[in-house]
Amino acid sequence: MATARRRSRFAGDIIVGGGLLLAVAAMAAIGPSLWPPDPIAADIFATFKAPMTAVGDRVHPLGTDQLGRDLLARIMEGTRISLAIVLVAGLISAVLGTVLGLIAGYFGGWVDAVIMRLVDIQLAIPFILLILLVVAVVGPSIPNLILVLGITGWAIFARVARARTLEVRELEYVEAVQVLGLPTWSILLRHVLPNILTPQIVLFTLDLPRLIVLEASVGFLGLGVQPPTPTLGNLIGEGRSYILVADWLVLFPGLVIAALVIGFNLAGDWLVRRTHVRVD
Amino acid sequence: MGQYLLNRSLQSLIVLFGVSAIVFYSLHLTGDPAALMLPPDASREEIDRFRQAMGFDDPILVQHVRYLAGVLQGDLGTSLRFQRPALELVLERLPATALLAVVAMAWSTALGFVFGVVGAVRRDTAVDLIVRVIALSGQAVPVFWLGLLLIIVFALRLGWLPTSGYGDLEHLVLPAITLGAYYMSAVTRLVRANLIEALAQDYVRTARAKGLSAWRIVIRHGLRNALIPVVTVQGMYFAALLGGALITEIIFAWPGIGRLAVQAIQNRDFPLVQAVVLFAAVVFVVANLLVDIAYAILNPRIRLS
Repeated sequence: MATARRRSRFAGDIIVGGGLLLAVAAMAAIGPSLWPPDPIAADIFATFKAPMTAVGDRVHPLGTDQLGRDLLARIMEGTRISLAIVLVAGLISAVLGTVLGLIAGYFGGWVDAVIMRLVDIQLAIPFILLILLVVAVVGPSIPNLILVLGITGWAIFARVARARTLEVRELEYVEAVQVLGLPTWSILLRHVLPNILTPQIVLFTLDLPRLIVLEASVGFLGLGVQPPTPTLGNLIGEGRSYILVADWLVLFPGLVIAALVIGFNLAGDWLVRRTHVRVD
Repeated sequence: MGQYLLNRSLQSLIVLFGVSAIVFYSLHLTGDPAALMLPPDASREEIDRFRQAMGFDDPILVQHVRYLAGVLQGDLGTSLRFQRPALELVLERLPATALLAVVAMAWSTALGFVFGVVGAVRRDTAVDLIVRVIALSGQAVPVFWLGLLLIIVFALRLGWLPTSGYGDLEHLVLPAITLGAYYMSAVTRLVRANLIEALAQDYVRTARAKGLSAWRIVIRHGLRNALIPVVTVQGMYFAALLGGALITEIIFAWPGIGRLAVQAIQNRDFPLVQAVVLFAAVVFVVANLLVDIAYAILNPRIRLS
């Protein structure tokens, strides 16, 4: 009885979380081709229209901004760009961290010591400050942002991958393939990696909310992707200046961020329970 | 214990050395820090003169050693904009940031504990669902968005509190709520999860069989054991708090270190940015060292491994 109820609650998690993610993903993927207004072109006769007002025969469901651009179109485009940045950056972090963790755990010794100190160093610098510093130096283009976000986020993936590798390394089948004389890279990729992959995927899901908020924060401060290109963060950052006359400019992009974060959190929690991995 | 202390302190020093190296070399990513720090319309001669004055012509290792020697003597560089020692500027802003951080941490820890305990004790009830929703939304809402929402509702619409500024208690309310919200939900989640685990242990069943009251069991047997994991992650969340302070200070025009850092980046005042990053890392490393030492004192098993 209790377990049945618990299981149904987990199902609720994934239905709500998955639903939110699907809705946002669909909006980002197919929204721009279904919704005609241009997210970049200004229309000075339609500035600061409240949500649901019409200009000519075009209704703006989420209103317009200081340049008369349709907010819904800008959010769709912004979500698409922010999601792309975050997903690629997350992937870079995960791959980099997993490889380093794998190496540290498998070889041990000084290699391990060096990599683990690097993890400590990485974790000691507040992410946002480091990212702001590097982006200010190399310039705020989308590829630069992806690289910087990706390279600064590897540490926790390395930590978890190392811990799992230490366990797997001691298993008999690994000893067996070692005795067979397989090359080390093949042992690592074909025999160790598949066994540490599940926690890494779970961790990836749980780490995405952090990246989403981080990317949005950089955008909010005006130091990320530059206008007129919209991102979820810089939409809110720009809207902040007009908070007295048009608070919807701040409200709606934030709702999308919240939906994404809740979605990934619920999906991650669900994965944790389904796979019984511990990622802390 | 002495050995453990020594090892841990040594590790912290290595970490700080690494951080200082990253901070130092980050300015050399594009090749010419002089061109980076001067306005885009600076002439070739100006850039050359500046480069010489800053010593950027010396071999990079010489510069690094010079930087480190300075750091060890408390010289974190000179702010280009203010023409004053960067460390001095950081220390001037420290009280404002510390006040905000301490107040935010205090209310969020207290409330997080209450929510976590209630959620764990009334597990799988409507109350627990509310607790879970609070925990989830606190972590889902980005700091800057929450801050703006609070300003819209409590400052602009209701007019109860000022939109920004520093000085009176009423200026502190909205920033402290904004900064603490994420942390509150994190504490709630942790306390709830750990307490549920602790309450499932055999000794709790024994205590219940002895006829101890429910609250006594929760406090004496549950909470005590749920506390340790909560304490150990404090250090990690401290970093998140520092990052959050940066955004919160910008939104509420709070004259702290975070605002100093963002303004320094916008002004391309890189020596000052370096100083803030290094300062934040030192605070983080020292805080974590203290947490680990406290933990080692509380839990003798750690020292042996």
